[in-house]
Amino acid sequence: MTFSLLHATDFADRLLYNIVPPLKAGMIVLADRYTYTAFARDAARGVDRRWVRELYSFAVRPDLAVYFRVPIEVSTDRLMARRVKLKFYEAGMDMGWSSNAVESFRLFQGKVLDEYDRLVDEFGLSVVNATGSITEQQRTFRKLVSQHLEIADDDRQLDEPLG
Amino acid sequence: MTTDSSTSRLVEAAGAATKPGTYYGYGIPYLPIDGYPGKIIAIEGTDGVGRSTQISLLREWLEVQGYGVVETGWTRSELMQPTIELAKASNTLNKLTFVLLYATDFADRLEKEIIPALKAGFIVLSDRYIFTALARAGVRGVDRTWMRGLYGFAIAPHQVFYLKIDEKTLIRRVLQSRGMDYWESGMDMKIGDDIYESFRAYQRSLLREYASMADEFGFRVLDARRKVDVIQDELRRQIGAFLAEAEIPARPEDPRG
Repeated sequence: MTFSLLHATDFADRLLYNIVPPLKAGMIVLADRYTYTAFARDAARGVDRRWVRELYSFAVRPDLAVYFRVPIEVSTDRLMARRVKLKFYEAGMDMGWSSNAVESFRLFQGKVLDEYDRLVDEFGLSVVNATGSITEQQRTFRKLVSQHLEIADDDRQLDEPLG
Repeated sequence: MTTDSSTSRLVEAAGAATKPGTYYGYGIPYLPIDGYPGKIIAIEGTDGVGRSTQISLLREWLEVQGYGVVETGWTRSELMQPTIELAKASNTLNKLTFVLLYATDFADRLEKEIIPALKAGFIVLSDRYIFTALARAGVRGVDRTWMRGLYGFAIAPHQVFYLKIDEKTLIRRVLQSRGMDYWESGMDMKIGDDIYESFRAYQRSLLREYASMADEFGFRVLDARRKVDVIQDELRRQIGAFLAEAEIPARPEDPRG
């Protein structure tokens, strides 16, 4: 619970200082992770799904939410290849499921991925297959974003008198 | 702040209708608390009503009778107290982060102090409970439904005593003791530059918030203007009657039984 609430506090702070002002100014906000991360991670930790959703009801619903999906093996392999030390909470070590960090990561992130799959339907997330190359992913991603932005907006802005 | 209130459960299951010792709302799924023998007794009220005096007297009285007693109080969590003090001092708090920091503090104490104590059969004396958070947020215009949903992980106390005071007495007591401080005066709400006027306006709206919760959460209202021992006698009478009925075995860990 405290883990969940601390993240919500941090999110509320960023929302009010870094997200809402640029939105009001008509800018595009690129958010690396959003409330869905909390929904997936907190539910994987056993927090009530409905409670987390209501908790974050103060958040602005994004115009486009993209989920980069990878199977658990791929994400474990990628992390291992970078030889990074798995972070305690990232690996879900707090759950006490395994004293082996890699094993714990696999178990915990597996649950997190299951939660994401649930979110895809619930919130209509756009899924990008993240097993492909960066270039492929970026192309798909750009297509999704440009479809959403409709370049016509730029023209409208140019039509406004400079005053 | 707006929120979709149609989805919230807590309001339906709210307050006084919630069975004492159970979660108000969705609860904490990984911590089932059914059948825990301990009790929560909360003492609520604004600043300067004498909560801590009453609690220390109660503690002594209960312990003499052989009950195990644990005290918990607002923003006393080990995890959050330094953060909250820092955030208060740096003026970067807005009402939403304020509310969430308090909730985090409460969650920490609930998981680490209150629930383990209930499990072990202790009486938890709570100096303020979630109602303080609800009142402060209510005064600041935070959505009521959302607030009640947020605290859906809290456990309904077995008894809530509300030490009720009037504005005039409250002001005199606070001035006699430690004086008015920035937060207790609601200076963050920018009611005005005058701390006295701000304190008065802020505490008056707080008192209104508490009053509106009395029915919702089944407060036992006590007149806090009376003498300390008169209030204490009344508390002991009501708590004693409740405990006798609940038949808590005195000091279960005592080998002499």
